[in-house]
Amino acid sequence: MILAAMMNPEAFSGAQDAIARMRRGDPDAVAAIVSRYQHRLYRYLLRLVREPATADDLFQQTWLRVMEKIGRYDARRNFESWLFSVAHNLAIDAWRGKRGESLLDPEDAEDSGEAPGAPWRSGEPDALDRLLDFERGAMLAACMQELPAIHREVLTLRFEEDMRLEEIAEVAGIPLSTVKSRLRRALDGLRAAMDARTPGGRKA
Amino acid sequence: MSGHESCESIAGMLALAAAGVLDAQEQRRVEEHARECPACRRQLEIWSGYAQGLKQLPQPPIPAQLMERTRARLIEERAAAADRRWDELMLGALALFAWTVGLTFWFVARIVTGGELVVMGANLVRLGTWSAGSTVLVWLTAAVAAIALGRRRRELRRAL
Repeated sequence: MILAAMMNPEAFSGAQDAIARMRRGDPDAVAAIVSRYQHRLYRYLLRLVREPATADDLFQQTWLRVMEKIGRYDARRNFESWLFSVAHNLAIDAWRGKRGESLLDPEDAEDSGEAPGAPWRSGEPDALDRLLDFERGAMLAACMQELPAIHREVLTLRFEEDMRLEEIAEVAGIPLSTVKSRLRRALDGLRAAMDARTPGGRKA
Repeated sequence: MSGHESCESIAGMLALAAAGVLDAQEQRRVEEHARECPACRRQLEIWSGYAQGLKQLPQPPIPAQLMERTRARLIEERAAAADRRWDELMLGALALFAWTVGLTFWFVARIVTGGELVVMGANLVRLGTWSAGSTVLVWLTAAVAAIALGRRRRELRRAL
């Protein structure tokens, strides 16, 4: 938040002002905040749940919950972390009611331990190198889809939301050390998936 | 520390170095090692490619009318919350009014009847009997009135 204030003080104070007005129930401020975060929040939810219809519903539920809880929001906290943690908790609740993939995968049990290093060899060309520029984004997105939800989440929060480890820990409600090992596992998993998918890869 | 660290001790940090999440000391260790070790330097470059690629993933389009639908749900929820608050307030006000009326009538009834009005063996103007009877009546009346008023209010809002 401090970094955001330093990089763009006008936008930062504008957002803080809108959040303060939203807490007082100003409907224009609510519309401004929803509009400001719509792309980021929807993207986060979509990366997390993968289904557009579920992400759409969770997006709306998140704002309803935000309005319900805004009175208890501590203005000293980072609003973005708080907003994303509301969305994260709703996604978990939605998952609890469903079968299939869980946000708390069995491998999560190993999450707090040291991530084992994948045996990446230095001599061979990497999957990214084997792809043309325009193919990389789509392939990375497709491979990210194959990862467990907790790994998709940590990747989008770090790289797309540019969140610090502390902020990711706050959103996901996990210790800092777990965020680090989870991020490492997620990157290893992504690279393995890329390798398996691209022609000439180790597992292709 | 440095450039003499083993590749094994650095390997686990390369991906995190590219992700920009190591502390300053760890980052320096990785960079110093990578300067002198072509194999780890290559791995660091690859991980940096992944980090860069993840920052530039294709952006999903926002569903049609998502903002409008969200705003409509927020307005609807705000109106429903206002209705709930109004119903609670109205219920309280009506209960208070009914209690006041009940007590006033008790005083009047005691004066008029001289403190005794026996119906089916019970003295209705005794404080206990009067309170029990009026409590039931008060809450029933207040609840019915609040529901009726709330419904009327919602109908009017829908009609607007």
